[in-house]
Amino acid sequence: MDSEDDMHDANDAESLDDDFYSGETAMDSDDGDAADYEFIDNDSDDSDDLLSRRSQQNYTILNESDIHLRQEDDIMKIASILSISNVAAAILLRHYNWSVSKVNDEWFADEEKVRRVVGLLEDPRALPNVKELTCGICFEVYSSDSMRSAACGHPFCVTCWQGYISTSINDGPGCLMLRCPDPSCSAAVGQDMIVSMASHEDTEKYQRYFLRSFVEDNRKTKWCPAPGCDYAVDFIVGGGTFDVTCGCSYSFCWNCTEEAHRPVDCDTVSKWIMKNSAESENMNWILANSKPCPKCKRPIEKNQGCMHITCTPPCKFEFCWLCLGAWSDHGERTGGFYACNRYEAAKQEGVYDDTEKRREMAKNSLERYTHYYERWATNQSSRQKALADLQQMQSIHLEKLSDRQGQPESQLKFITEAWLQIVECRRVLKWTYAYGYYLPEREHGKRQFFEYLQGEAESGLERLHQCAEKELQTYLTGGPSKDFNEFRMKLAGLTSVTRNYFENLVRALENGLSDVDGHGGSSRTGGTRSLGAGSSKSRGSRSKGAARSSRATDDSAHWSCEYCTFANAKSATVCQMCQQRR
Amino acid sequence: MSGGIARGRLTEERKAWRKNHPHGFVAKPDTLPDGTVNLMIWQCTIPGKTGTDWEGGYYPLTLHFTEDYPSKPPKCKFPQGFFHPNVYPSGTVCLSILNEDSGWRPAITVKQILVGIQDLLDSPNPADPAQTDGYHLFIQDTVEYKRRVRLQAKQYPPLV
Repeated sequence: MDSEDDMHDANDAESLDDDFYSGETAMDSDDGDAADYEFIDNDSDDSDDLLSRRSQQNYTILNESDIHLRQEDDIMKIASILSISNVAAAILLRHYNWSVSKVNDEWFADEEKVRRVVGLLEDPRALPNVKELTCGICFEVYSSDSMRSAACGHPFCVTCWQGYISTSINDGPGCLMLRCPDPSCSAAVGQDMIVSMASHEDTEKYQRYFLRSFVEDNRKTKWCPAPGCDYAVDFIVGGGTFDVTCGCSYSFCWNCTEEAHRPVDCDTVSKWIMKNSAESENMNWILANSKPCPKCKRPIEKNQGCMHITCTPPCKFEFCWLCLGAWSDHGERTGGFYACNRYEAAKQEGVYDDTEKRREMAKNSLERYTHYYERWATNQSSRQKALADLQQMQSIHLEKLSDRQGQPESQLKFITEAWLQIVECRRVLKWTYAYGYYLPEREHGKRQFFEYLQGEAESGLERLHQCAEKELQTYLTGGPSKDFNEFRMKLAGLTSVTRNYFENLVRALENGLSDVDGHGGSSRTGGTRSLGAGSSKSRGSRSKGAARSSRATDDSAHWSCEYCTFANAKSATVCQMCQQRR
Repeated sequence: MSGGIARGRLTEERKAWRKNHPHGFVAKPDTLPDGTVNLMIWQCTIPGKTGTDWEGGYYPLTLHFTEDYPSKPPKCKFPQGFFHPNVYPSGTVCLSILNEDSGWRPAITVKQILVGIQDLLDSPNPADPAQTDGYHLFIQDTVEYKRRVRLQAKQYPPLV
């Protein structure tokens, strides 16, 4: 294919051009050509410290004019490479989802086929050269100068064209792929023709669809899903995480466009969200109106009749609605069908207090879900609160603090950072609950390790939160204080420790708590402690086999639980931690 | 939308049909009891193609045009319960060229619609089923399907 060379030449020329005016936006938007460009876009480095800290940024935030520029750029590029009009280039690009390389590939592989599929005729035909023509839509006869046609020469009157165009624009983005009104003709109707005949309002709509298409049909760009945000995000696939932070400061997962959810993967998130929407409404009702069958734990609604309940097959357990005891212990002597002496008596003694009830319900899967959901939701609202606090901090308190403590505001950045960290931690913590919910019940070791990590994360975050909220108060209200520098040290320290801890937590969860598998029965402390320090080399290095044998031959007073690795006293036959038999 | 050209276009369609139309087909605007003509509803007849199981049947079809015509396609209806994989239980025909979101073009004529539907009769589109009865038989039991088609053809004898 000799055209290949031409293509590169053209591209190089382009890229020189680009360099010229493109400090801001001209990162090539297509992987095929990306190699031609030596520079990588890093124009948003100055935007946020927090952002640049996260490895390298593999995405670019685009505002509307950036999008325009890129779109025009790509159109010009194709127009010059293929020597076709801009209008035709736009039609081609739209058809191949704005992929410059795809258009190139297809075009040079089989130009004729591409032309046919897209509706670009090789040699445009003019209107038939006669005085009068019949419009193919209204069937009226007009003089040929009041007729129009696309490149195919099928004549229609201006009024009918206008109607056709207007209908199509008002029917949605399909207008970008408009074809000749003749049923047997596939000639594309280009932007120039549409703009020349559509009303002002319709033209605007059309341009809007055109711009949106560049983002929505493009494999590499997506709109920021935050309400009211007009930025789009251009993402380079293949580089690590999908989390992006938009210019509007909303963080989301580029892959599934839900809010950012590391360390949980997209599938889990969608499962979890689905579950929430399906169950949250039901949940309250079920909890308020039903009791779990004491035997099979299915929720049962009592809608009529006496206290003698028989669960549906296959369970068929008969029990008393009031005390949830077996019905075989009931009868006339316990108060009949409508009361339960045992229940009344027990209530007097306070056996049925809340904790008792909770424990009984805990086995219920519904209860298990509520457990995780409540915590997930609580962290969500804590995060919202922290965000609000952060904003207040930035808008009011920092200035005040700067006054009181005689510190320039630039020296108070550590407070903003602390709050940003709190917000981020709440987010991570929130998702750990979805993670926990889907962590299989039987993996005791992992569960325990996970809960330990989560607990530590929670208390670490509490420390930071406490310090950023309460301890700061004294400096906000009091006068200049000598201790302020100490406070700065402390808060900055807590921030960085917490950040490290959470980063490690995320990593540990993302690789599926693989450490737990790795060191099976060795000591119970190794795995947990090294997390914060990040020196993970030492653990997991022992092979499973070795670990097992060491357990068997373990000299002295302890045995490690096979499930949770807890070191139990030799005398115990049941693990004190997870209640599994030895 | 198209500035109320529906009636004008339908008048022209009527003229064109009178001048020339395919053999065996009928297409005429509805006549009200008082003798006035309603251009927006057309009563048509589609003959089954010779050499197919549909042969011998003359199937009544009603075209309902809207004021948006020809920007929007007419709705084409066989009698309720018409047996064909691509006809809804209501009788409405499911055909790509009659779908405003895909195949419809304003230059498609009444003649093209009717011929298109005649083609559809003996070559149903299994990718787009509109009724369970016809679809399942077409897919699973060709013998019974053909029997039902021939039976239906007998139900719609020539009008004259």
